[in-house]
Amino acid sequence: MIAWPKLPTPTVLPIGDAALLVRFATVVDEQANAAAIALTTELDADPLPGVVELAPNLVSVLLRYDPLRTDPARVAGELRLRMIRLGGAEAAPSTDWVIPATFGGEGGPDLQEVADSLGMTPSDFAAAHNASDLKVLATGFAPGFVYLGLHSQHLYLPRRSSVRAKVSAGSLLFAAGQTAIAATEMPTGWHVIGWTEFSNFDARSDPPTRLGAGDRVRFEVVP
Amino acid sequence: MRARIRLQRVAPLTTIQDVGRFGMLRHGLSASGPMDRGAFDLAGKLAKASGAGIEFTLAGLDLVVESGKCRIGLAGGIFNAKLNGSKLAWPAAAAVSAGDVLSITPGASGNYGYLRFNSEFGLEPVLGSRATSTRVRLGGLDGRGLEAGDLIELTANDQNHYVDHPVPRYEEGPIRFIWGIHAHAFPAEVRDRFCSAAFAISRRLDRMGVRLEDEAGVFASTTSLSLVSDAVVPGDIQILGDGSPIVLMRDHQPTGGYPRIASMITADLDRFAQMRPGQAVAFAPVSVEHAHRLLRGQK
Repeated sequence: MIAWPKLPTPTVLPIGDAALLVRFATVVDEQANAAAIALTTELDADPLPGVVELAPNLVSVLLRYDPLRTDPARVAGELRLRMIRLGGAEAAPSTDWVIPATFGGEGGPDLQEVADSLGMTPSDFAAAHNASDLKVLATGFAPGFVYLGLHSQHLYLPRRSSVRAKVSAGSLLFAAGQTAIAATEMPTGWHVIGWTEFSNFDARSDPPTRLGAGDRVRFEVVP
Repeated sequence: MRARIRLQRVAPLTTIQDVGRFGMLRHGLSASGPMDRGAFDLAGKLAKASGAGIEFTLAGLDLVVESGKCRIGLAGGIFNAKLNGSKLAWPAAAAVSAGDVLSITPGASGNYGYLRFNSEFGLEPVLGSRATSTRVRLGGLDGRGLEAGDLIELTANDQNHYVDHPVPRYEEGPIRFIWGIHAHAFPAEVRDRFCSAAFAISRRLDRMGVRLEDEAGVFASTTSLSLVSDAVVPGDIQILGDGSPIVLMRDHQPTGGYPRIASMITADLDRFAQMRPGQAVAFAPVSVEHAHRLLRGQK
């Protein structure tokens, strides 16, 4: 049984007149991410009255509510009670995934540049990248798009200054201490370091994604 | 009632929509759904329809009923509608049957109109909804916009759970908003000018977002902030790195990393969606409580 560390106190902000954002930090941070996942798990298991949808993000949780059934003060009050209960809650069950991926080559046109910037060879970079499991921080932005992290400080690299108009589904994207897997074609300003056959989005399944926030991912290099 | 309808002339960005695909934000999908929810409901009321409908754009739509019969409802903006050459009132309700020709042409105002039927589309829902998101190629007809030549099959609908929604009134005046999650990051002077300046609807608008022209240069000196990507809702007004304001609409990306100064209130979002390029738009802040009173039909 793993107890969560003391949760950071969230800021609760209205987003328009039908949603609240419960924000645990303003930078991406492991503890705030864990808090967002813990709160989502708790509210999924025992929903708040009038809350019609939850969406966990990197360091926050969006709560869409029905203004005809509840109001933000009531939701915020209920949230405060839940946060107290969460302090000693168990970690949500998570799944471990092994995802085969090819680094560099046609599917990873930026690998060489990324390795150069970090003063490594491409294979050393891939080894360092895959040295430890990564956690699914959040899904969002695009169908099945997952943020994985956080990498240690020596692998930190900001985004590219230019945006690539289109990368293919399965692209492994790397920037700002995170690796993302694109599940659909998209434009991106992240470095494209590799490619995987693993698909995290299938509109014919419900739910349409496989990886969930809190899951652990290990990449297995396919030559 | 069953019917088969052939689309003959279709404007770009015409899509099949229903109330939307909710619960999918965490999987990376926004809800989609009608740009003007009130008009969609009104077209449904006129057709006694509960299911999906066609959202058509400025240039309208021509179609022919190939077989069968059904009841239709038309609403949204102000369009010109003719059934077999005879002018229909707007909004309109009518019974159509095999051989009938419906022609909808541009009218005095609005960007979006709705055609609904008292039958359901013979299309499988995707993740619980028939709403089309062309951005992620999902729902509707293979996730794409409708085209001339498309055949719409309407099946007998025994489960027409038609609900009589109150019909919203459009109000004049500024578009009202709740201050956004990054409002504090804008200097007080910029926030003041946001509430007093006139913006214009630009030509760059679609179901994802509407760009505003900032002729007064309210956001000209805005410096780009580095923000964690966070949840977005329809009506959020974000300021891009080059200082252009963009209002996120029904097919928005589920998360965004640009600073958001404001979020439009639900009661004014439909009216905003119907504003045409070149039209002036002004903004006024209200409290969440006030927005809720408006939603409940109170003043």
